Amino acid sequence: MTAIRTRGLTKRYGSGDDAVVALEGLDLEVADGEVFGFLGPNGAGKTTTIDLLLDFVRPTEGAAMVHGYDTQEETDAVRDRVGVLPEGFDLWHRSSGYRHLEFAIASQNGDADPAALLERVGLDRTDGRRPVGDYSKGMLQRLAMAMALAGDPAVLVLDEPSGGLDPHGIRTMQEIVREEAERGTTVFFSSHILGQVAAVCDRVGILDDGELVTVDTIEGLRETAGVGSRLVLETAGEPDDAVDDLSGIEGVTDVTRDADGLYVSYTDPRAKATVVHRLVESDTAVLDFDIEEATLEDLFAAFTGTGTIAGPDSDSTTESAPAGDVVIEDEGSLEADTEEGDR
Amino acid sequence: MTWTAIARKDFEDVVRSRMVWGITAVFLLLMGIVTLGASSQIDDASATDVIFFFTNIGGQLFVPIIALVVGYMAIVGERQSGSLRILFGLSHNRRDVLVGKLASRTGVIVVATLAACAFAAALMFALFGSLPVPTVLGFVALTVLLGAAFTAIAVGVSAMTDTRMGAMGGAIGSYILFTMLWHPLIAGLHYALEGELVGVEAPAWYLFALRLNPLESYRQAIASMIDAYVPALVGWENIVEDVPAGSFQEGTLLTSNRVAGDVPFYLSEWFAPVVLLAWIVVPIAIGYRRFERADLN
Repeated sequence: MTAIRTRGLTKRYGSGDDAVVALEGLDLEVADGEVFGFLGPNGAGKTTTIDLLLDFVRPTEGAAMVHGYDTQEETDAVRDRVGVLPEGFDLWHRSSGYRHLEFAIASQNGDADPAALLERVGLDRTDGRRPVGDYSKGMLQRLAMAMALAGDPAVLVLDEPSGGLDPHGIRTMQEIVREEAERGTTVFFSSHILGQVAAVCDRVGILDDGELVTVDTIEGLRETAGVGSRLVLETAGEPDDAVDDLSGIEGVTDVTRDADGLYVSYTDPRAKATVVHRLVESDTAVLDFDIEEATLEDLFAAFTGTGTIAGPDSDSTTESAPAGDVVIEDEGSLEADTEEGDR
Repeated sequence: MTWTAIARKDFEDVVRSRMVWGITAVFLLLMGIVTLGASSQIDDASATDVIFFFTNIGGQLFVPIIALVVGYMAIVGERQSGSLRILFGLSHNRRDVLVGKLASRTGVIVVATLAACAFAAALMFALFGSLPVPTVLGFVALTVLLGAAFTAIAVGVSAMTDTRMGAMGGAIGSYILFTMLWHPLIAGLHYALEGELVGVEAPAWYLFALRLNPLESYRQAIASMIDAYVPALVGWENIVEDVPAGSFQEGTLLTSNRVAGDVPFYLSEWFAPVVLLAWIVVPIAIGYRRFERADLN
C-alpha cells in the first residue's frame, strides 16, 4: 500500500512569463510504514509539497493522494490520517501547553493522555501548566510534535523538525521517529540537513529548485553520486602492498595515496574497521586517522553539478554537528566509528 | 463537525485578552459619566434618555469598533503566524476554522455587549427606579445583533485578506464606509437621479437605501422604539440633504415625518433585524468563498 503518492504535482505562483515555479512535476511514492527523507535546500519546494498534501495550497497541475484519498477531493479523510509538525508556526500564547494538547486531542476525537504526550516529547508537568507565550523555541517545537502525535496519525509529516532544538531535543525527536516507524507509522521527514535525514530515513528524495533530483537509499545515493565517506589515514612509511589489498574490501570504492597519507573512500561504514585492521596486520604503523563524511553539499554537487546550494544554509553544519552530520575531524577518531551506531 | 473545539479554544484565548475588557471598561466609565451628567441637565429626564445616550455613542461607536477589533485578526492572524497549518494538521478544514472563529468572536462580543446593556439598565434603574422592560429588551436585542453583524464583517474580511494590514484596512474601511461615506453616496445618487438634494420629505427608496447601512438601520430602529430622533455620529443631514437647520432638535427627521402616508414595513423598526442579519450572512458567505479557494501560504 502507498501512504503518499503524487503524480505530476506542480505549483506555480502567478501566470505567464512572471510565473514562479515552486514545484514542477513531482512524482513521488512513499510506502506505508516507510521513513522517507525529503531533502533539499530552503526554497527547494519541500514546504510547498507539504502544503499541497494538506490542501493548504492548490496544485496548478497534477494530484496527490494520501492512503488513496485525493488531497483535493477528500481533504477531510486525508487530514484525519495525517499529523503535521509544520515549519515556522506559532501557537496560542495565552493558553497552557496542557490545554493545547487537550485541544489537539478533542479536535480529533481522540483519547490520548496529555500528560503522557508531554512526557514523550520531553516536557514536564510544570512546563505543561505554563502559558505557551513563555516557551522557548525548542519547547514550542516539542509541544507541536506532541500535538502532531495526539491523534495517533497513520502518516506523520515533519517539516524541518529539528528547528530550534538543542542536541538533546534532536535526539528525542529522532527517537520518536523511530518509535513511530516501529508502530507502522509512515514518516515524511523534510529537512535541509543530510545528517538528520541519514540518521532516521529508509529512503531519501532530493529536491532542488522545485524538481525531484533523485530518490534512493542513503547508501545508494553515496554510491551513485560517488561521494561516499572517506577515511584519511596518516601512516609511518609507505604501505605499498597494502593499497591493493584495501581496494578489495567490500564497501571500499577507492583508495588513493599522497605524501600526507592514505585516502580510502567507502560506502559501507563497516568497511572502516576492516581497513584499519588490515593496515595494522600488515605492520603499517597507523599514526592517526580521520573520517570525512559526505555532506548535503557534496551530494548536491554530484547530482546537480553546481556545487552550491541556494538558501542561507551555510551555518547548517554547525547547527547539525551534534547529530554527527558533517566532516568529523576530532582527534582519536576511534569514537567516531561508534557514532553511526549511537545515532 | 469539529468547529466547536476551535470555538471553545478560541473563546478561552480571546476572553483572556486584556484589550477587549479594557476597551469595555473605559467605555462603560465614559457612558456612566455622560449619562449621569446629561440626565441632571435635561428637564423631565426619563429612562429612554439613557437608551438614547447608549445608542448614540455605544451603538454607533463602541460596539462596532470593539467588534471590528475582536474580529479582524480571527483568520488572518492564524494564517500569518502559521498556526493554521497546525489546525489543518489537527483534522480541521477551512469551514471548521471559519465557523469556529465566527462563533467564538461573536460570543465574546455578545458577552461585552450584554455587559454594556446590563450597565445601562442598572443606570436606568438607579436613576429612575423603574425599567421600561419591552424597550430595554428591544434595545438589547438590536445592540447584540449590531455587534454580531460587525463581528461577521470583521471575520469575513479576515478570511478574505492575506495580511494583517489588509485585514486592518478592511475593518477600518468598513467603519468609514458606514459612518462617513454611505450617506453622501446615497445622497449623490439621489442628486444624480432627481437633479436636487433630498428635502425633509424623502422618497421611500432613499430612506431604504440609507437603512441598508447596519449602523443606520440600528439607529433608526432605536429611534422609532424610543420615539426620539437619534443623531448619527456624523451628521450628514445638514450637509448632503436640503433640510432646515436645527431640524433634528425638533424631531422633524423622524422617519414618520419624512414619508408621505403610512411608514412602509421596510422602514419600520421591525426591518432592522433583517438588515443586520443580512450583514452577518453576506460578509461571511463572501469571506468563506474566498477563503475556501485561497492558497494559504
